[in-house]
Amino acid sequence: MGNILEFVPGDSFLHRLNPITKIVLAFLFCICSLLSNNLLIQVGLLAFLMIIAFAAGIGEKAMGLLRTLLFFCILMIILQLIFMRGGVGYLVLPGGFPLVTSDGLYYAALFTLRIINATLPLLMMFAITQMNDLTNAMVNRLHVPYRYMFILTTAFRFIPILAGEFHDIMDAQKARGVEFDTRNIFKKIGLIVPLCVPLLVSSVKKVDSGAVSAQVRGFSLRTRGAGYKAYPFRLGDLLALLLLAAMIVLLVFFG
Amino acid sequence: MAAMLEFDHVHFGYGRAVILPDLSFTIEKGDMVALIGANGAGKSTVSRLCNGLLLPSKGHVRVTGMDTKKVRTSALARKIGFLFQNPDRQICKNTVYDELAFGLQVQGVSEAEQKERVEKALETFHLDPKWEPFTRSRGERQRIALASVLIHEPELIILDEPTTGLDYRECTEIMEYVTALNREKQTTVLMVSHDMELVQSYAKRVLVLSGGQLLGDGPVRQIMKDEQTLHAAKVMPAQIPALALRFGDTFSDVYTVADMVAALEKERG
Ligand SMILES: Nc1ncnc2c1ncn2[C@@H]1O[C@H](COP(=O)(O)OP(=O)(O)OP(=O)(O)O)[C@@H](O)[C@H]1O
Ligand SMILES: [Mg+2]
Repeated sequence: MGNILEFVPGDSFLHRLNPITKIVLAFLFCICSLLSNNLLIQVGLLAFLMIIAFAAGIGEKAMGLLRTLLFFCILMIILQLIFMRGGVGYLVLPGGFPLVTSDGLYYAALFTLRIINATLPLLMMFAITQMNDLTNAMVNRLHVPYRYMFILTTAFRFIPILAGEFHDIMDAQKARGVEFDTRNIFKKIGLIVPLCVPLLVSSVKKVDSGAVSAQVRGFSLRTRGAGYKAYPFRLGDLLALLLLAAMIVLLVFFG
Repeated sequence: MAAMLEFDHVHFGYGRAVILPDLSFTIEKGDMVALIGANGAGKSTVSRLCNGLLLPSKGHVRVTGMDTKKVRTSALARKIGFLFQNPDRQICKNTVYDELAFGLQVQGVSEAEQKERVEKALETFHLDPKWEPFTRSRGERQRIALASVLIHEPELIILDEPTTGLDYRECTEIMEYVTALNREKQTTVLMVSHDMELVQSYAKRVLVLSGGQLLGDGPVRQIMKDEQTLHAAKVMPAQIPALALRFGDTFSDVYTVADMVAALEKERG
């Protein structure tokens, strides 16, 4: 799970867009998916996203993200199938009660696709943008104070670190005989609680030493112009934004 | 009888990066083995394979004949005492007393015996039961972690760089203690170390690891004088044997300062 926001290196047209363009595009795409209640259009949007992903060389990553999102949608799909009772019934039980209905299937598919189309672009945006570029562009172009962006990136960076740390601590406790490798899930949860102590200690220590070393290296001296990279807007940015704007206009009038 | 620890054509990699292509060795009960090698040679990986924290993708690791693929790590913990390179991972209680008792508790030792064994360990390792582990120095935490491993009196002790961050006196005391366990209780010891002086003073047998391959395996005295192997594994040899090598045959039995002094005095007549 730690690698869901992981950057996939590359040099495609998508990678080369301005980081700010990428964020805006991702949000515009979300809006697109929320604008339409039409199953076909949702299918089209997803297909469009996947084509872009494969063209940008992050197809495998996008498929992985798609699988993860689908997994999270399972509960919703089941609820839709149970509670949407209109339309034609399928899989009729002996008592004449249909297990699923055509409405159930339709809405399950529609909502799943909408959720996916609204979240996948954001996750894809992280796959093609390095955190550093994102923050620097926000600081340089949008004049967001650096320390706020720094907090954000540090928080993101801590997710995989903490996950790794947690794994190591579990290993250490297994090695001394704590039964984390039990199959009994309740027992496992009970055992995890005492682990929070070393995890908390090590993360507080990490944060503390991180802060000290940032301070020692002159963090407080950093100004908006301190990055060495410039983040210009190019023709490609404009075209991409225009394309998505056109999509939104079309959806507003015809979706 | 089955060997204490057996690596049988072990192949292991993290993801696609192969760390150990094909590793085989056995360690018999009562042996005291040092595993040496440069940074990143795969020493910690080998030690984690021993107690099933990592499982080989091909081949088998057996502890007293039990395949680590078939027995859970927490069950193996009754036989194997494992000290990690980083002591902070192991420590999870707020006082030294609780920390030492915790492992015994987990393994179902009676309250009375817990008390007795903890008190003995506190004395052996010069620990104060009321210390808060997380506020102690790095060397002290190392000592606490080591005490909580050795308190179980395991049959096999695996120590991943047990003496890093310990001062000279601590270091010798701990190694003397481990040696005594080895001598009196036939405890088998596998220790990972960079410190050739330490290896030369305490190990009986040495395994030299480089790039996941076993470059050398033999009695400590033989390996200490095998400069080629040590050089190939990018390990710095111990000083006295290295010096003795320079003088050829007359000094062939010299391994320690005392040996050297005796040999020099004989030379002077
Ligand atoms: N969790 C991991 N994921 C991927 N690669 C790893 C992981 N742990 C170790 N490695 C790699 O495996 C190799 C061997 O690592 P290992 O920790 O076994 O070395 P070591 O001999 O213990 O080194 P050191 O003397 O620094 O402790 C290294 O190249 C390391 O980069
Ligand atoms: Mg190591």
